[in-house]
Amino acid sequence: MKIVVCIKQVPATGADKRYTDDLRLDRASAEAIINPLDEYAIEQALRLADDGVADVITYLTMGPESASEALRRALAMGGDDAVLVSDPGLAGSDEWVTARVLAAALDRLAPDVALMGMASDDARGSLVPGAVAAMRDVPLLSYGAELRVAGNEARVRRLSSDGFDWIAAPLPVVASLTDQVGEPRYASLKGIMAAKRKPLETWTLADLGLSAAELHGGALTRVTGARPPEAKPPAERVENVTPTEAAARIADWMAARKLI
Amino acid sequence: MSTNDILFLAEFDAGQATRSALELAAGAAALAAQSGGEAVALAYGPGAADGAAGLGAHGAARCVVLGDERRPAVVHAPAATAVAREGALALLAPATPNGRDLAAALVGSLGLPAFGPVRAVRLVDGTLETEQATLQGAVITTSRPNEGAPSPSVVLVLANTFTPIEGGTGSAAVSTAPTDDGESGLARATIAESQPAEATVVNLEEATVIVAGGRGVGSQEGFGVLQELADVLGGAVGASRAAADAGWVPYQLQIGQTGKVVKPSLYIAVGISGAIQHRVGMQSAEHVIAINRDPDAPIGEFADLFVVGDLFGVVPALTDELRRRRGE
Ligand SMILES: Cc1cc2nc3c(=O)[nH]c(=O)nc-3n(C[C@H](O)[C@H](O)[C@H](O)COP(=O)(O)OP(=O)(O)OC[C@H]3O[C@@H](n4cnc5c(N)ncnc54)[C@H](O)[C@@H]3O)c2cc1C
Ligand SMILES: Nc1ncnc2c1ncn2[C@@H]1O[C@H](COP(=O)(O)O)[C@@H](O)[C@H]1O
Repeated sequence: MKIVVCIKQVPATGADKRYTDDLRLDRASAEAIINPLDEYAIEQALRLADDGVADVITYLTMGPESASEALRRALAMGGDDAVLVSDPGLAGSDEWVTARVLAAALDRLAPDVALMGMASDDARGSLVPGAVAAMRDVPLLSYGAELRVAGNEARVRRLSSDGFDWIAAPLPVVASLTDQVGEPRYASLKGIMAAKRKPLETWTLADLGLSAAELHGGALTRVTGARPPEAKPPAERVENVTPTEAAARIADWMAARKLI
Repeated sequence: MSTNDILFLAEFDAGQATRSALELAAGAAALAAQSGGEAVALAYGPGAADGAAGLGAHGAARCVVLGDERRPAVVHAPAATAVAREGALALLAPATPNGRDLAAALVGSLGLPAFGPVRAVRLVDGTLETEQATLQGAVITTSRPNEGAPSPSVVLVLANTFTPIEGGTGSAAVSTAPTDDGESGLARATIAESQPAEATVVNLEEATVIVAGGRGVGSQEGFGVLQELADVLGGAVGASRAAADAGWVPYQLQIGQTGKVVKPSLYIAVGISGAIQHRVGMQSAEHVIAINRDPDAPIGEFADLFVVGDLFGVVPALTDELRRRRGE
């Protein structure tokens, strides 16, 4: 059984994030990490390996040269090898191009299960897993809060409007996971040392048989503006008063805004 | 059928159009008025065939019925056929898990530009422009399709971005999507087992007032205190991940990055510290009140009214005060 975990490198949560003048993410300004939700997917892959279900775990990312750092960090947690898809033609890529390139790389890697996070931290579109599944014409098991792989089938537990469903499909599948699956492990010192010797390949678009032309120059969409969010005036504060007094002040505040 | 039309996904449930369908109908109608096209619903889910015409009163000129299934794995095939045939300017989809999966499948199978989740969408000189909070709300970006990009542009729209048109009349012209009997890979995913909850769970995306509790609430009983306040306000109870993880409320009530993204007119955060992952789920609320005993809690940075105090004192007192003012 072969598993590929798709991971994305993103700016650290809460880090000072800026856009450059040409409206790209200023990667120099923020510490880069593995998209936190992708770490949950990595953990699930490693548990399948621990349980003897998975034989090979490969990490796949599309990004700049520096994204190989994220792959090394993943390899330090465990797993076997990694692939970075990097190409000048991919700068400024959007969700469609990302999905197209990952789908092409997955066609080549041919995993039984392609695992992804439910969303990336920076854009939170949650579109890549479904788009990749559609492009590869394989089932999508999305928003999995629990993952089981056995025999020729994978299933995820997915929240429904009031309870949950188990969604099942024959392999191969694309599955996206939530943070309910279980906390990711830390890399051990031994793991970090071992990761340095694990194979990491870099593929270009040409290696995947893709051309910049068929990728519409790298994106179907473009960012046309970036600005800071509307500044909020500092909160009005109610402090050092009894609960009754606080309640009266809140009610007045609500009444003044016609909220009651 | 025109390249100026605006398509929208209209999900039905138990014979009714969902709130998101009505919101998107209003949004599609407003955009179509600008583009010189029509608002066209792609209706699916239980009751879609019977309820489709009724979307006319909410802004839809036409309605294509995709079937009575809600699951994206099943709806995808007729939706793709209908979208390809319609050739519209944009397709609005709700930024819910089902809406995202269906939108993603269309982006993948038809090769379409994708936007979102957006908090505004408009036409500028005939070109679509979307506005989204990016990088966990640190930056507001605007985006457009590139010249020559295929259409429609697929736009994920956050709940409460548009206000449904009420009191309208008229009915939409209804047609049925051509059946596509090709075997699709997506359709191989099936529901193996369903576990409904013991109690009905409210849909937070539809609530205009939310009283959300966090770790500070301490227990399931503590959430009873919040429920009383929510009841006087005609609102719903929500939660942080810490409270859902603790099992005090079902995960359906979690708000944040991996929970619901809500936009009520009033959000009362009780015993919630205000972590970035929580904030991204509620930062668009119109009014935010925080009740926290820590005067330095980060939630104070984005609340409009910050009440420093013990929630077990303040919340019941507020419930009483609101009842008293109402003369109960
Ligand atoms: C990948 C990922 C995804 C996540 N997604 C989400 C998400 O979707 N939603 C989410 O909420 N979190 C999410 N989190 C978790 C998030 O980082 C925080 O851990 C969580 O929001 C904290 O919940 P809390 O504010 O309830 O608890 P805490 O941070 O522990 O805060 C409790 C607050 O209660 C106050 N308090 C305690 N007792 C009282 C009292 N008696 N009266 C008044 N105040 C009191 C304290 O002062 C404190 O401010 C995610 C984390 C990760 C890594
Ligand atoms: N550039 C990328 N490289 C590898 N995986 C990615 C990339 N972008 C997105 N993904 C995967 O798709 C998931 C959802 O991302 P998104 O659709 O951007 O919210 C992420 O959690 C990753 O697992």
